[in-house]
Parts: sequence; C-alpha cells; structure tokens
Amino acid sequence: MRAHAAITVNRPREEVERLWRGSDRRPSWIDGASVRFSDAPGDRGTEVHVDVERVLPGGRLGEIVAKLASGARLAKVKDDLRRFKQQVETGEIARSEAAPEGERAGRKFKQRPGQPLDQSQHEKAGAS
Amino acid sequence: MRANVWSGRNTVQVENVPDPQILNDRDAIVKISSTAICGSDLHLYDGYVPTMKKGDILGHEFMGEVVETGRGVSNLAVGDRVVVPFPIACGSCWSCRHELYSLCENSNPNAGIAEKAFGHPTAGLFGYSHITGGYAGGQAEYARVPFADVGPFKIADDLGDEQVLFLSDIFPTGYMGAEFCEISGGEVIAVFGAGPVGQFAIASAVLLGAERVIAIDQYDYRLAMARHRAGATDTINFAEDPDVVEQLKALTGGRGPDAVIDAVGMEAAHGHGVLHAADRVKQATRLESDRGHALRDAILACRPGGIVSVIGAYGGLLDKFPSGAFMNKGLTLKSGQCHVHRYLKPLYEHIKNGAIDPSFVVTHRLELGLAPEGYETFKHKLDECVKVVLKP
Repeated sequence: MRAHAAITVNRPREEVERLWRGSDRRPSWIDGASVRFSDAPGDRGTEVHVDVERVLPGGRLGEIVAKLASGARLAKVKDDLRRFKQQVETGEIARSEAAPEGERAGRKFKQRPGQPLDQSQHEKAGAS
Repeated sequence: MRANVWSGRNTVQVENVPDPQILNDRDAIVKISSTAICGSDLHLYDGYVPTMKKGDILGHEFMGEVVETGRGVSNLAVGDRVVVPFPIACGSCWSCRHELYSLCENSNPNAGIAEKAFGHPTAGLFGYSHITGGYAGGQAEYARVPFADVGPFKIADDLGDEQVLFLSDIFPTGYMGAEFCEISGGEVIAVFGAGPVGQFAIASAVLLGAERVIAIDQYDYRLAMARHRAGATDTINFAEDPDVVEQLKALTGGRGPDAVIDAVGMEAAHGHGVLHAADRVKQATRLESDRGHALRDAILACRPGGIVSVIGAYGGLLDKFPSGAFMNKGLTLKSGQCHVHRYLKPLYEHIKNGAIDPSFVVTHRLELGLAPEGYETFKHKLDECVKVVLKP
C-alpha cells in the first residue's frame, strides 16, 4: 500500500477545507495536489487524506522533509495532521512537559523528563 | 517546588524541580492540597510500564487550589478549590463529545508513540509515562492542568479533602467497572482485587443494586474492609485456596457470577501452577508485559452470557488468553481507563447526600517528603496498607 496518512477532524468539510487553505494552521509544506477531503460518515466530521508519496514539498521546510526517508516523512505528515486537528478542534497545540513544543516525530526518542521546564527551556519551546 | 520523581525501577525520590508554568491559554496551575498513590502507580514503580524516563513526576490523583489561569480559562478563578480528573480531555473532539474522555483525540502530544503500541493514541494522563503524553504528575506541590476549562471540578462545600479526592480516579473507576455490569437488581457480581479500586467497585455494585457482591483478594485485612466498609456479602481469600473459579461456582449454585470485575490488572499475584510460573518468568524477562491471571479467571468464572469488566490497568501483551471460554460462553468484555469527567457530578452528589464516604479506604497519611516510604509500604502491603494520601 502506498504511504498514506489520514485524520478525521470533528468539523464540517467546508470549514475544514477553508481552514486548511486559508490560515497558518495548514502544514504549508504539504502541497494541495496530494490532499483529499471527504465527509466522514454519520456526522463524524471531515476526513483529511494525504498521499505521502505524492507530496511535492514547498518552502524550505519542505525541502528538508523531501530529503527524509519515506518512514520519517510519513511520521512528519502524521505529526502535522495531528497538530492541524488539535488547532482546529481545541485552538491550541497539546504540550506536555516531556514534549513542550507539541507532537514532533523527532521528539519521540528524545523526550524530556515529565517535569516542569525552567525559564530558558520555556522560551525555547515557544509556549504562550 | 518539591515533587516525587521516578528514578528507575523500585526507586522514587522527592526532589526540587522548577515550578510549573502556563504553556497554553487553556492551562491552569493548581497548588496541591492532597494527592494519593494509586495502585497503577505501582506498575510504574515496579518498572512494568514502558516509556518511563528518569525525572518523571508521578501522581494522577490530586486536588487543590487554583493559583493561576491561562487566558482561555473563564470558568475557574484563582482561589477555587478543585479536584482534577486523571485523564486530560479537550472537550471538543468526537470522543469527548461522546463522553469518552479517556480517549480524547487531542490531549496526547506523544500520539505517535501510543499509536505504535495501541494502534491508536489515547488521552494524555497526568504522571503516567510518556506513552500517555509525558505530563508532569501531581505528587508535587503544584501541577499544570491543561484544558482546565474542561477537567477540574469545583468543590464549593466544606467536605474534607479525603471525602472528595478520590473523585480524581479510583471512585469513578470503580463505579464505571460496576456500571459496565449492567446491574438491574438481583445480580451476583464478583470483584477480583480488594485494593482501593476494588473497594469502590464493590461499593458501587451495591449502590447500583447488586444482590450479592463477592470480593476476591489474598489479604484478610482488605477482605475485611470489603465486607465491613464497602458492602461485600462474601469473600474469597485465594492465599488459602487458589482455585477461585471453583469457589465462585460453589457460591453461586454452579452458575457463576453474572458479571466479573477485574480490578487487578497486569500484576496479578494469584494464580497457581505452571501457567503462573510461566507468566512470572516472562514478565520478569520482559517477554510478556502483562501477568494476567485475574483476567483469565474472570473469563473462566463468569456465567455463560455474562459480562467481564476490566478496569485494572494493563500495558502491553498477555499470553494464554482463554479465547475458547470467552467465545463459546458468549461473554461480553468491556474495559477502559475511566471517563472520569462523566462521573464527577453524579458521584459528588452521592458523597454530598451521604450515600458513600470515600475516605474509608485511607489507611496512611504522609507528608509528601515521605512518598518513597509510602510506595514501599503500599507495594509490600505493610502495616495493613490500603491507600496512601500525601500532603505537600
């Protein structure tokens, strides 16, 4: 099966497509051609599908991502889909003390301990 | 601030760590007045839950006073006294909208790790390993509470901490376990494990109208509490006779209990013979993460067509699942980390109107600095320990 990532966002399709296209919540390095939206059944919101192999990366981050092995690229797409969902559904990125900048594939193996950050770490994480 | 941190298998210590800060607009900071050690903390302490890291602050049963709120929290004010549910829930995803709060789709920033282990991510939990988010826990002087506009439950009455503290986890967890049993009156319910969650499962089964409740444990003092405080009608001590399935049949005219609650989880102490020895070796060598004799016996003992309710914590994989008994007897298996938020109000009403006083489980009260002693006492069931409350 081709590398594919999908997430369901608990909002109507029109709103999800508008937010994906029109705001900074969208993972900008994922180009439009590789993304497909569909209504989830039974009032479950909107499915966002990304064909990872067709992603034509945009911007500098995109170039970096393009160099990643396909597994790492899939993980990066999944991270960014989750962040998009979090922002649309909750208005913020979930941050824990172990992962203060939120979901990030590279953090999986480099977790901080689950204890509060000091001031410099706090600023580095870009938290509010 | 001072906090109780995990620093390796069988080791916790109280250390100075930075004070928590607001990281998101919907966060609040709570100054903790009471916090407890949970039986599931022992799974972390014993080193059976993967993805722990040295320095992790433990603890997911806590309450206290709101001392700071983020810009997005309008329902709480500084000075409010709150109990904090152990699952972190956003309130707006599909799962939260359907009151499946421990399955919140947005609160786990290590969703990728959880997805690898469980197929899908589950909610962030306080102080419960990195697979559930890597959130700092509540065995500390302060805690940051994400989505504080959804979780914390205000206590306006003059009820004591110990009467309401267990709304954070073990009372709702036990209650959900009993609710799974679909009690309508006249049932016999068996509860494996008379630890704190088992005590509340028993008390809840009685509240919901079960006719008989059978408590199963290996310590007489816990069985005595089950009978005299929680309301169990019968008890089985498997240290005296390990064949629990036959004893349950004897107590139920051969039928088996209508529903069985597993309030034990991954470190079952009972069991006998070759299977239990194999479990112990495999778990000790990490070939199998879960030692599951309680669950196996629950399935074997349950009456045909009955319900097996799993609220004891499991972490990974279990061997020798009795799939033949499960399928051929037509059993229903229900499980989950508790959707605490769902139960806060109704159970608080039960406490307020005097139907139950959850403080009956507390046997030990220690200053936070003595947390390591609390873990040892609880783990080895010293001094008739059932529940340890820590005071920061």
